Amino acid sequence: MLKIKDLKAGVEENQILKGLNLTIKAGEIHAIMGPNGSGKSTLSAVIAGNENYEVEEGSIEFEDEDLLDLSPEERAHKGVFLSFQYPVEIPGISVSNFIKTSINERRKALGIEKLSTPDLLKLMREKMELLSIQKGYLSRNMNEGFSGGEKKRNEIFQMAMLSPKLSILDETDSGLDIDALRIVANGVNKLKSKDNATIIITHYQRLLDYITPDYVHVLYNGRIIKSGGKELAHELESKGYDWITKEADKKWA
Amino acid sequence: MGLINEIKNYSDKKSLSTDKRSALDNFLENGFPTINDEEWRYTSLKKTISGQYSVNAVGRDVTKKEIENHSLGLKHKIVFVDGFLISKPEIKNISISAYSEFNTNASEPLEKLNYSLAKKGYTISVNANTTIQEPIEILFFNTVENNFIQYRNIISVGNNSQVKFIEKIQNIDCDNVFVNSFTHIKCESNSKLEFNKIQNNTPKSSLVDTVNVLQKKDSVSNINTLIFGGKFIRNNLNFEQNGTNAESNMNGISVLSKNQLADNHTFVDHKSPNCSSNEMYKGIYLEQSKGVFNGKIMVREDSQKIDAFQSNNTLLLSEDATINSKPQLEIYADDVKCSHGCTIGQLDKEALFYMRSRGIGKEEAQAILTYAFASEAINNITINKVAMLAKQLLIHKLDVDLDHNI
Repeated sequence: MLKIKDLKAGVEENQILKGLNLTIKAGEIHAIMGPNGSGKSTLSAVIAGNENYEVEEGSIEFEDEDLLDLSPEERAHKGVFLSFQYPVEIPGISVSNFIKTSINERRKALGIEKLSTPDLLKLMREKMELLSIQKGYLSRNMNEGFSGGEKKRNEIFQMAMLSPKLSILDETDSGLDIDALRIVANGVNKLKSKDNATIIITHYQRLLDYITPDYVHVLYNGRIIKSGGKELAHELESKGYDWITKEADKKWA
Repeated sequence: MGLINEIKNYSDKKSLSTDKRSALDNFLENGFPTINDEEWRYTSLKKTISGQYSVNAVGRDVTKKEIENHSLGLKHKIVFVDGFLISKPEIKNISISAYSEFNTNASEPLEKLNYSLAKKGYTISVNANTTIQEPIEILFFNTVENNFIQYRNIISVGNNSQVKFIEKIQNIDCDNVFVNSFTHIKCESNSKLEFNKIQNNTPKSSLVDTVNVLQKKDSVSNINTLIFGGKFIRNNLNFEQNGTNAESNMNGISVLSKNQLADNHTFVDHKSPNCSSNEMYKGIYLEQSKGVFNGKIMVREDSQKIDAFQSNNTLLLSEDATINSKPQLEIYADDVKCSHGCTIGQLDKEALFYMRSRGIGKEEAQAILTYAFASEAINNITINKVAMLAKQLLIHKLDVDLDHNI
């Protein structure tokens, strides 16, 4: 589904990703872990198409199509979804109106008829139940005055509403208390299918106690320096990153 | 040539009272204000007054259907055609009639002109201890092309009374009309007034609209100014607080495009202690449009414990659009809380990316963010139909695909 080859990208003069390779197939969950500043958020921003980042070299193919040629909205229409580490507050537009617009813009791009308001509300109710979201929440302004946990839950709610093919959860676990974490993880697990894939970007093992990844990658200094199965996450939890980063430092010195 | 000569010719044929004659002579001496006058520095009347006009001309009748088309559909409607009162509602404890003479010793040129030439407008007085539940719609229709017309209105709201108005000026079958409107509002003790001005007239129309609000103790007045249509608009909104605990609130939304110009000049004169004023003006400027904001707040020497807040937030959505924004605070008391904020900006890039990453196209995302920017001010409007209309006009003008019902 997603093929990243030798990706080099950064902000202005500052190269952050220094030759990243990653292949993800449908039905898989990949966790990307790594110390601060290793390039995790840059990777998610580049996949989603944030224009603040410049791609110098390499390619990203999504379902055999060059993703780097597409605008952020076109990527979303193809089924790429990024759950933001810091979701943006948009005062003056309700959650329901935002989601409706988002769904219908995608449908328009795909040549499908708009979703009617009753169908939309029905779908919303369904997904709200999945994520234990209260009804009053729909009429609140988008992320305005939301707690950290509410914002993250709102991200997963949108993910559920848009049913993307590839979801990138950028530090979705940060700012969540244990109950919210369980609810969010439960949502992600229920939305999992053989046709979609998920990238979980995280600092900690914590979220991976609830969502079992098929692969775990360590991102360090702009490259993936180690990949393994779910047991790698446990190893990192107990041993930290030092044992692999030292080796990498030697190799790329 | 131009309007000033038409005014001379018109007034020569009319017999004016001594006071009016002297106000007019005074006006004619200096003529219309120009950009050399500090208060009109960014707002040029030149084009508006260079056209050929008739003064206070009268045209045709307006049909029921035309009235319906331009009305909010409220129960109470006062309807004027070319300044003539043609229908009014019967409401208990409130008297509504056509123009009546009154003098406010105007100092501004257009006010003087209005005083001397006006013979049309409304007189509304709400008795004491009266609450009018349903808002009252005031519709002014103009039917004569190239007409220069004066409206002169007076409203008094009695002690402990409450009332809401919506005023709209609409051209029918004509476009180039210059309205010079003056409204004097008296809010007696403990009264509450809401006055909504919907300024969405035809593309060549010009308007100078002066509203003076005189407030007694414990009174609350809310004035909302919604600007969407018209070529030239100048609003002078003046409050005089004459009594403790008076509260003056202003909300403004301007959404301008093409070569529209709208100028909001506000003035709050805090003459008594323990009063407050709160103004929030939001402007969205597209294409070559131009906005002006001038907010003056005066706190007199003995007016302690004043709480005055003013904000003017602007979105410039085109390289050619301009805004001139000027807060003007004159504070002569020491125990007061006055703050003002002025922002001029473009749309938030982070928010744009956030929306685009959710599949919302760039233009739509820009339109939605712009809509969101304005809706904060719309949410302060208490009359649902006015808020809905404002949202509709905004959605239409920004060409955004939003459902304002959900």
